[in-house]
Amino acid sequence: MIKTNLFWNPVIQTLPREKMQELQLRKFQKILKWAYDNSKFHHSMYKNAGIEPGDIKTFQDIKEVPKVEKSMMRSIQAKDPYPYGDMLCVPLDQVTTYRQTSGTTGQPVYQPDTWQDWEWWAESWAYWLYSQEYRKNDRVFMPFGYNVFVAFWAAHYAAEKIGCEVIPGGVMNTEQRLLKMQELHTSAFLATPTYVLGMADTARNNLGIDPRDLNIKRITVAGEPGGSIPGTRKRMEEAWDAKVFDHVGATEIGAWGGECAFQSGLHVNEAFFLVEIEDVDTGEIINEAGRKGKMVITALDRIAQPCIRFDAKDIIEWNKEQCECGSSFRLLKGGVQGRADDITKVKGVLLSPTSIEEVVRSIPELMDEYEVTVTKRGDIDDISIKVELNPEQESNKEAVHQKLTYQLRLKTNLNFNIKYCAAGSLPRWDVKARRFKDLRKKE
Amino acid sequence: MDYDISDMAKRISLLKKEALELKEKAESIPAVECNIDRILASIKMLEINISDIVGL
Repeated sequence: MIKTNLFWNPVIQTLPREKMQELQLRKFQKILKWAYDNSKFHHSMYKNAGIEPGDIKTFQDIKEVPKVEKSMMRSIQAKDPYPYGDMLCVPLDQVTTYRQTSGTTGQPVYQPDTWQDWEWWAESWAYWLYSQEYRKNDRVFMPFGYNVFVAFWAAHYAAEKIGCEVIPGGVMNTEQRLLKMQELHTSAFLATPTYVLGMADTARNNLGIDPRDLNIKRITVAGEPGGSIPGTRKRMEEAWDAKVFDHVGATEIGAWGGECAFQSGLHVNEAFFLVEIEDVDTGEIINEAGRKGKMVITALDRIAQPCIRFDAKDIIEWNKEQCECGSSFRLLKGGVQGRADDITKVKGVLLSPTSIEEVVRSIPELMDEYEVTVTKRGDIDDISIKVELNPEQESNKEAVHQKLTYQLRLKTNLNFNIKYCAAGSLPRWDVKARRFKDLRKKE
Repeated sequence: MDYDISDMAKRISLLKKEALELKEKAESIPAVECNIDRILASIKMLEINISDIVGL
């Protein structure tokens, strides 16, 4: 049964598979030609690879188009047309919006957008918020620092586009934000998973407010993988007594994926984005469900600084299940399961930090925060984890310890040194958390 | 629900034509030119949502 009342655009969201693919191919040809004709960077890259826009006739041809990595963007920026360099496809006077990446993985990347691009950003977010049942009668709070990082900026405009009343909670501390949410009877808010849990903590401990009493109906999370990690999602939903929806996007890409009201996993907006999954070892494109690979993504309508076959390094896999909403946008299994550049070898075993979060957050006797440190003693790697035991569970410490040891071993194939810290003593994070510290490179 | 996509696309194209003609007539009236630029960006979203589907 198709739930068209959940669709921002029922025409696109119910497009049969073969038509969706035809649309993607047609749009890919168009954006490639646009970049070839208007950006020196793209022109020379494609020319050097022996590719002309007219060569792209099938999906097989798309595979031959060179990929773009973030490091390539960094190397051409801070040059004329200043500061974007040769990737820019429009005259500078058409750029109306500047944002930049957070710089988590290195030098920030500048992101120019025209007004059309900015409308497109909001449009892509609107697909997700509408599918999560944000409606005109919602009063939506945005507790983030409105600054150069894209964060939830486009979500703000998407919520306005839907007709919600939007409250910008910019330069306020967490207590002020919570009190404003209480005062204005907000029905929804958007934040990183870390901040959603942190706000609940602050409400209880600093303000004596039970977050469940704030009557929040829905929360959309982005910026970290927690929304698709069952244990973390459960903690957020229980803390706020609200439905939590995951969302994925990136400054250089756009708002490419999100959950619908059925919470069956992340849908990909396949009308706006072409998502390819590439086998990490062979480079082969994976079309079947159940095989993990690295995401290569194209934003099909973004014009100022096109995103064509961008190597996002997110690890994803297609889900063979269909969502009950009836959308033809395919689902990803388990959301973004990690990042290729986060996966590291410890004691010869490949480790993704998200698997550690999955374990800690699935043990209710443990508090939300944890910290992992990898060091080297001589030639041997050593991995430690600090966790906080809920003070009320002190008498169950031995059983919790056994459970944590077993689950960590099961999910990561590693034995951890486990240290219990006093409740509330581990660092709390406001936006994106950095709970994984690999100190081996510094030693 | 069945939608007449072709007819909707035709109307979107008329909107765009009107907006472009208005922009041309209003040369050097920033209040018109700049607002038309915003209208054109919104029309582009209509094209992405509707017109691009025509002919599939």
